[in-house]
Amino acid sequence: MYQYDRKGPKRGVALYSYSAEFGLTKTLEDCFEDVHDMGAHGIEILANTHIANYPYPTDEWVENWFRLCDKYEVVPVEYGNWIDSHVLGDRDLTTEESVAMLSRDIRLAHRLGFTVMRTKMPVINDLLEPVKNWREIIKGALPLAEQLNIKMCPEIHTPSNLKGKLVTDFVDFIKETGTKHFGLNIDFSVFRTEFKEGEWVDPNYTPNAPEDIIPLLPYIYCCHAKFINMSEDFRETTIPYPEIIKVMQENGWDGYLLSEYEGADKYDPGYEVGQTLRRHHVMLKNLLGD
Amino acid sequence: MLEADVIQYRGFRNIERDGKAVGFQICVRSDYYRGVWLSQLRPGKVVVDGVTYPKEDVIWEINGKDHTVAELAEAGGEFWRITDVATLKIMKDGGLSQGFHDVSVRFAASCSYMPPFLDQFDEDGDDRSFNGGTYTRKNMIIV
Repeated sequence: MYQYDRKGPKRGVALYSYSAEFGLTKTLEDCFEDVHDMGAHGIEILANTHIANYPYPTDEWVENWFRLCDKYEVVPVEYGNWIDSHVLGDRDLTTEESVAMLSRDIRLAHRLGFTVMRTKMPVINDLLEPVKNWREIIKGALPLAEQLNIKMCPEIHTPSNLKGKLVTDFVDFIKETGTKHFGLNIDFSVFRTEFKEGEWVDPNYTPNAPEDIIPLLPYIYCCHAKFINMSEDFRETTIPYPEIIKVMQENGWDGYLLSEYEGADKYDPGYEVGQTLRRHHVMLKNLLGD
Repeated sequence: MLEADVIQYRGFRNIERDGKAVGFQICVRSDYYRGVWLSQLRPGKVVVDGVTYPKEDVIWEINGKDHTVAELAEAGGEFWRITDVATLKIMKDGGLSQGFHDVSVRFAASCSYMPPFLDQFDEDGDDRSFNGGTYTRKNMIIV
């Protein structure tokens, strides 16, 4: 299997970026080829989107998956999954049912060579607080995650704050259990400082300073390098990328920055998100010096 | 490959039994970015040429299996992939007439990670929500 040995922050792409094109004008292989063009070596897939016959892909599909990783020199970095506890309309899944759903994804992530999962928690309110039994669900899946060396990482996304209760609760859980198989994925939307005039901003949102990430670095196993607006001269105009990257490099963080674009304009007819990602990768390549 | 519109031209035809049209079918893709467990679906009404068919009149065929909307709500272990269509079947004596038809289909997908106040969908209404809405395609042809 392809290996990429560079240390420190590394470039990758979250295939969610292709959501307006995947299955319509781009196949999975087209997405891999685009990533390879950019010189990026990491990939995040969404299990429920990109795996044919999810949650039970055929052996042929899995074989082809590894062929794609080798051909395009791509490391399977992060497997996006959901704990869909509200999947039934009339009741939440029990802890046992949620653990079973999560365990199925852990096995599949491992089968495809992933080591990190972006484990999306079901939420109960507009502060994005997770279901009350999240600790029990994660504890139920931890032995399997340890056995298969998978790190489950909820994503910390705006309007959450790196110093807020959500993150503190997760860090407390990690310290109490001492686990190395539950951590964080930081979405760079938490650092966003610039908004368009008149743009709606969540009243619960306060931007984080780049250095706010430092105490969390030991628990961060990958990041969503969210970007909103790339200028013609390859700067991200809403998020202080140079400062964030510098802080991460200086503090010895090792892992993948997965470019994620979710601007609504990607659904415009004829839009090619690959071009938007390429702009982002010009900037990342220069900042990282790779 | 699927058509970019949610409602597909392909698959729009009458359902025949013993040589007679007994209904019609419409194929839709999901415009959500991930596939969904069938119980996540929030199926709504279908409107053809101004005639409304309530959700209870619609059979959803997914993965080769027919489901009433009540059965969809119970099917938490079955999955609709975004690269597949769902075939909506409606029984109607004689089917639809040859020629042009304007078609609307309403549905959404519930989502566990959205705050509950956003994760709402009025199945009989006309509003768009973050996860679905009413999709319309005009001048679809029955041959």
